[in-house]
Amino acid sequence: MLKRNTLLTSLLAGLAAGLVPALASACSVCVTGDNDPTSNAFNWSVLFLMATPYAVVGSIAGWLFFKYRRAAAKRDQDHATESPLHLAWSEKESGR
Amino acid sequence: MAQTSIAKRLDETLVELEPKRPGFSGGEPPPVSPQTPIGNNVWLAILVFLGAEAMFFAGLMGAYIVFRVGAAVWPPPFQPRLPVGVTGVNTVFLLASAATIRVALRGARRGDGTQLVRWLGLTALLGAIFLAVQGYEWIELIQFGLTVSSSVYGGLFYTLIGFHALHVFGALVWLMVVFALARRGHYSKDRYLGVQTCAMYWTFVVALWPALYGLVYLY
Repeated sequence: MLKRNTLLTSLLAGLAAGLVPALASACSVCVTGDNDPTSNAFNWSVLFLMATPYAVVGSIAGWLFFKYRRAAAKRDQDHATESPLHLAWSEKESGR
Repeated sequence: MAQTSIAKRLDETLVELEPKRPGFSGGEPPPVSPQTPIGNNVWLAILVFLGAEAMFFAGLMGAYIVFRVGAAVWPPPFQPRLPVGVTGVNTVFLLASAATIRVALRGARRGDGTQLVRWLGLTALLGAIFLAVQGYEWIELIQFGLTVSSSVYGGLFYTLIGFHALHVFGALVWLMVVFALARRGHYSKDRYLGVQTCAMYWTFVVALWPALYGLVYLY
C-alpha cells in the first residue's frame, strides 16, 4: 500500500513538473535565452568533449588496424617468397 | 633410416610452414598458435597513455572554449595580446622536430647509429629552442601584466600553454636520456624500442601544439 502511494505521488509530481517546465529545469544553462553566448559556449564545449573520445579511440583503433594489416601483408609476402626447395630431401640426407 | 630421415624432415617442414597470426609480443609466450608481433606491449601501453593525455588536454580545451565563446570581448580589456607571429615561427621549429625524430627512428631501424645520434641531437635542439622562445614570451607577457591571477584569460593561457610546455620539457628530458644511450651504442637494428616510444611521445606533443596554437593564439 505504501509502495503504491509512493509510486502515485512520484507519478503526479512528475506530471506536475511537466506542466511547469521552468521549475523542472535541471540544466544550469537552460535558463538562458536561445542566442545567449553562455549557453552557446557550453554547447560548443560539450560537443567538443563528446567528439574527442571518439576521435582518440578511433585514432588508436585505426593505427592498430593499420599495423595489423601491414604485419599480415608482410607475413603473407614472406610466406609466398619462402623457397619450396626445403621440401625436397637431398641425396645426402636420404642416405642413398 | 632413409624413411626416418624423410619423416623427420617433413615434420620440420610442416612446423616451419605453419602461418603465424599477427599479434602483440612480450610477456609469456602463448601456449598455442605463435604470433607475429605487430607491436610491443610497451608500445601499446604508450599508445593508451597518449590517449589519456589527449583526453586531459581535451578537458582543458573544453574549459577554454566555454570562456572563449562565452566572452563578448576577447582578449578582455586591458590585457596584452599574445605574440602570434613569434609563436608561429616557433611552431615551425616544433613541427620540424617531428620530422627530425622520424629520420632518427629510421636510422635506428636500419642500425645506423651515426644517423640516430645526429638526428636525435637535432630534435633535442629544436625542442630546446621551442622551450626557450616560449619562456622568453612568458617573461614578456608577465612584464606586460598577464599573470595567472590577472584574469580568466591569463589563467587559461598559462594553464593550457603551461601544461603543454611541461609536457615538452618532460619529452625533452626523455629525449636527452635516449640521446645519451644512443651515443653509448645502446641501440641496434633489433633493439630500438626506447627510441620508438620516445618518438611516439614526442610526436604526440608536437601534434598537440598546432591545435593549441590555433585555439589560444589564432581563434
